[in-house]
Formats: sequence, structure tokens, C-alpha cells
Amino acid sequence: MADIRLVGLGKEFDAGGVVAVRDLTLTFREGSTTCLLGPSGCGKTTLMRMIAGLEVPTTGKIFFGDEDVTRLETSKRNLGMVFQYPVVYRGATVREDIGLPLRVEKLPAAHKAARVDEVIALLGLEEYANHPVDKLNSATRQKVAVARAVARQAPIILFDEPITNVDPDFKLQLKRTLRELFSRLNQTIIYVTHDQTEAMTLADDIALMRDGSIEQMAPPRDLYGRPESVFAGWFLGNPGMNFVPVESQPAVAAAVLGGAVPDGVTAVGFRPEDVLISSGGPQRGAVEATLGHVSLATGGQHLARLLHADLVVKAKLPWDSPVATTRGSQVWWSVPLEKVRAFDRHERAVNLVSAEQ
Amino acid sequence: MVSTRQTTSGRRIGYYTALWAVALIFFLPVLWIMMAAFKSNDDILSVPPKLAFSPTLDNVSRVLEESSTIPYFINSAWLALGSVVVAILVSLPAAYAFSRWKFPFTNFLMFLLLSTRMVPATAAVVPMFQMFNAFGLRGRFGMFILYTSFSIPFSVWILKGFIDGVSERFDETAIVNGAGRVHVMLKVVLPQVKPGIIAAFIFNLIFAWNEYIFNFVLGDPNTQNIPFGMSVNLLSAGGNVDWGFVAALSSMYLVLPMMMIFFFQRYLLVGMTFGTVRGDV
Repeated sequence: MADIRLVGLGKEFDAGGVVAVRDLTLTFREGSTTCLLGPSGCGKTTLMRMIAGLEVPTTGKIFFGDEDVTRLETSKRNLGMVFQYPVVYRGATVREDIGLPLRVEKLPAAHKAARVDEVIALLGLEEYANHPVDKLNSATRQKVAVARAVARQAPIILFDEPITNVDPDFKLQLKRTLRELFSRLNQTIIYVTHDQTEAMTLADDIALMRDGSIEQMAPPRDLYGRPESVFAGWFLGNPGMNFVPVESQPAVAAAVLGGAVPDGVTAVGFRPEDVLISSGGPQRGAVEATLGHVSLATGGQHLARLLHADLVVKAKLPWDSPVATTRGSQVWWSVPLEKVRAFDRHERAVNLVSAEQ
Repeated sequence: MVSTRQTTSGRRIGYYTALWAVALIFFLPVLWIMMAAFKSNDDILSVPPKLAFSPTLDNVSRVLEESSTIPYFINSAWLALGSVVVAILVSLPAAYAFSRWKFPFTNFLMFLLLSTRMVPATAAVVPMFQMFNAFGLRGRFGMFILYTSFSIPFSVWILKGFIDGVSERFDETAIVNGAGRVHVMLKVVLPQVKPGIIAAFIFNLIFAWNEYIFNFVLGDPNTQNIPFGMSVNLLSAGGNVDWGFVAALSSMYLVLPMMMIFFFQRYLLVGMTFGTVRGDV
């Protein structure tokens, strides 16, 4: 078991023309599952490949526990890895494929066979154990790849978007398998994904990346509920946070904050599901708006657009809400103060309590 | 509906008839030679050609009794098989390196490599003769090296195409799991490019088996192969060619390539498309 520490880690390609990872310093906790989440091209796969030793960092160091592994060969890092595409070995059976990494380990044959059986059971692959891997569907093949990575019992396992290229019909099934697996494993797991639902489902911590840097690292609930930047608020959620710019909408910002806008706050943000709507006439602290387009969002909720001058606020309403279908009607909306985040001109979160003091 | 079906069926019959006709036209010389191997000299030269004849094994037994023919076969076999095996052993790591490390001018190097195979043998044979004489290479070792070196470029080219089709993720997975590059090449990549290896093997085997001019000019009695033997028989006979003997020798000479093509034709087709069969990733 080991934590993974990155100290000032950076990676440039094309002689500095492309900076994939910038001066990262962070720790992946021992025995935890951390999802590296971010849009395509933000550097998450490059970061993972550096941890695996498949890319050499331009700057900085990588430690597994106390050991500096920055220049250590991949084969000596003792880790497991699962790639985006299900990598299986043609002609092998499921059992043989899973047992391949154990061939290089000096263990008694019975011990190796027992380990293979153990992971086969862990991933529910019993019925396919003697099937040729090339005849399996993509999700089952990816399960085999996961089993192979787990079978080594390496202290660290890396997953590079393992669900992305699985047939849509099997994605949910594989996600469920991984969630169960992660809850049973004690290894340090890093899981790269651009899918926030996947990250929310699987992670103990999410490290949100943007342009080669870590925007915020926190447990999923904290990251979603208390984003530390405008980007984190915007990227997470479907749709992301609403933002009210203080400069162009001072009255709305003040209403949302329940009083004067503290100095230094340039925007206030809140989640669509935290917006409360009333059609019962003016209310204290509520903002008047016209109900715009209403669509049915995932989960049976209505997603409504509330129009106030130039401002558009997204709100999620229960499917049976009486205001949901009366497009064009006047409504009043508000947000509980504890659900509101304030941001400064650097787009970083401001602590409202200290800002008021 | 019925008439459409009949038209489709009619077209199909016409299509297959044309295919069979073309195939037969191309196969006729081979058929003539194979039939001639079992005819008497009178039957061979009769006009029009005799399709019904009394088969005889005289020609075959004369070939087997002739003291020089068995060495021709032995020389053909060891030169072709040996050189191709060595060529594949050398080509696999070369193709793997070309595929996995994109060093500068890789494409140009690949072109240079293949261009050696594009030079007509008649153009290359004189400088090769000078070179082989200068280095004292004329004989077994020289011919073996020659066929091996001629087989390498094409093998590298074919194998690189196949290895390119195997995702590097396979290599990385194995490396992460503790394997070295040699292990990756032999245990991970090689099993996935078997069709390429078989295709390269057969193409080069047929080349070395059929090669005549280098063998004629650069070889010595220890390397004389079947094409050499046939040409000597034809040339030395003047106007009295023993067609029965030549036909029997040719037919026996055809057995190996025909068997190879018959049993491995699907690999040849894959080889001709240069590794379009991709590794599953």
C-alpha cells in the first residue's frame, strides 16, 4: 500500500509548445479511489501516464510512499493499469489472459491459479472463465482487463477512462461492477474520466483538472456542493451552476445574497436544483422573472429557463410542479443563502462569512 | 419478383462462368506441364494436344534416377527455407522497432529498405558478381546471405504493417505488468501478427524457391537449384529437348509452392493487403 505524491510535476510536449501538465503538487491518499475529472485535453491522461512511467515528466517528482519513482522504469513500478480500449490477448481464454501478468512473478503455480480464481469470482466472470477472450462483448472484455490489473495485487491501480469505449448497453453494468470492486479493494486507485456521473459514483475524492492544473480536489459531495471556482461550479452538474455577474446584475446579486454584496465579490453562483420558484405573487428577497422554455430533464424533472432582463437562470422543478408548464407566466425565484457561492475576480470562491466581516 | 430472382440467378451463373473461364486460361500452362509429366514424348508433341493418353511414370522415374536432380531439390529446399527463416527472425525485431519508435526519417528508411527489392535482378547481378568475387562469397554462404538479405526488406515491410495494426496499448499493458520489450515483442505482439509472419514466409519462400539468375551467376555446384537445373537441361539439349523430363521436373518443382498457396491462401491475401487485419483493442 502506498500514497502517491506529486511534487511540482510538469509535462511539456513539442519542446514546450504544448504544456499538458503544469507544476502539480498533490497527494493521492493511500487506499483511496481518486477520479481525475476534466474536459478532453486537460492533461488527465498525461498525468496518469507519468504516474505509470509511460511518459517522462519535464519537471517535478513522483513518489510512491517515500520512494522517488520519477525515473523508475514502468515495469518496476509495481502497478496495474486498465486502458480506455479493452486490451485482451487474442487466442487466450479469460483465465489465461488474467493470469498473464502473474507469469513474471515468482509464485507457486497453485498460488497463481488461486489468485486468478479469486479475481474471476470478484468480477463475476465465472461463466466465461474458459471462453476465448476475443469472443466476448466489450464490457466483459474490459472486465477481463480489470481482473488482470487486479490479479497482480499491486498497491496501485490506474484506470484510463475504462468505460468510455464500452458498448452503451453495457456501460451501466460495468460501472456497477467497478463500484463494487472499488469498495472491496484496499489499493490506491486513480481513475481518469471526463464523465462526471462516473466520477461522482466511483470516487472517494475527485481531482478536477483544467488546462494541466488541478482546479479543486475534494470528496464528490464537497466538490459539487462547495465548488472553489467558477469552472468547478460550471463543469459539475447537468446543467452546471447559474452565475449572476455583480457588475451587470447588482440588484439580483444582492437579492440572492440577501443584502449588500460584499467587497471583492464579482459573481454569485447557485445550482439549478436549489432554485425555489413561486407563482403566488411578490415575495420578500425573491426575484421576479418570466418563465421561459421548459423541457423535461433527466430524472423526470423539468428544466426551466427564468428570464430576468438579460439574465437567464436555469432551474430544476419537480415534474408535477404547477408552475412548470405555464410558459410566459410571471414567477418569483429565490435561493437559500446556504446554497449560494460567491466568487472573486479571479473566479475563485469567496467565504461569505469572512467577506461580510 | 420471380423475374428479378431469375435475372439475379442468371447474372450469378454468368459471373461464375467467366471467373472459371479466366482461372482455367491461367491454369492451362500448369495443367499442360503436369499432364506432360505423365505422357510419352510423342504424346507431348502431338498436334492437336492429346487429352486422352496412356499415362506413364517413365518421366518421373528418369528425374529421380538422374544423379543431379536430387541435389537440385536439396539445394532449393535448404536455401529457400533457411534463408527465409533467418530473414523472419531478423525482420521481426526490425519491424517492431520501425513500428514502435518513430525516429526521424522512418518513412524514408522504409522506402530505402523496400527499394532494394525493386531493383531488377538483371541490373543488380553484375555489381553483385563483382562484389561476391571481391569478398569471396560465391558459394553456399554467399547465396544463403543473398537470399536472406533479399527476403528481409519485404518481410520488414509486411510485418511493420501488421505490427502497426496492434495497438501500443497492448505493449503498455504488458510493460505495466512487469514485462520487458523482448517479452512484449515475443509474447504479446508476435501471437497477434502470425498471419503476417506466415504471409512474409510464403512470399519470400516462393521468391527464393523460384530464383534463377543470381543462382546461375553467383552460385556454384553446391547451390544449384531446380530453376538452374531446368535451364541447364533446356540449354544443353539444343534442339533435342527432353520435354518429358522437363515436364516431370517442373511438376515436382511446383508441388511445394502449390501446397503452400493452397493451405495458406488466406494469409497470402491478408499479406497482400499489408496488415489490414488489426489487433483487437
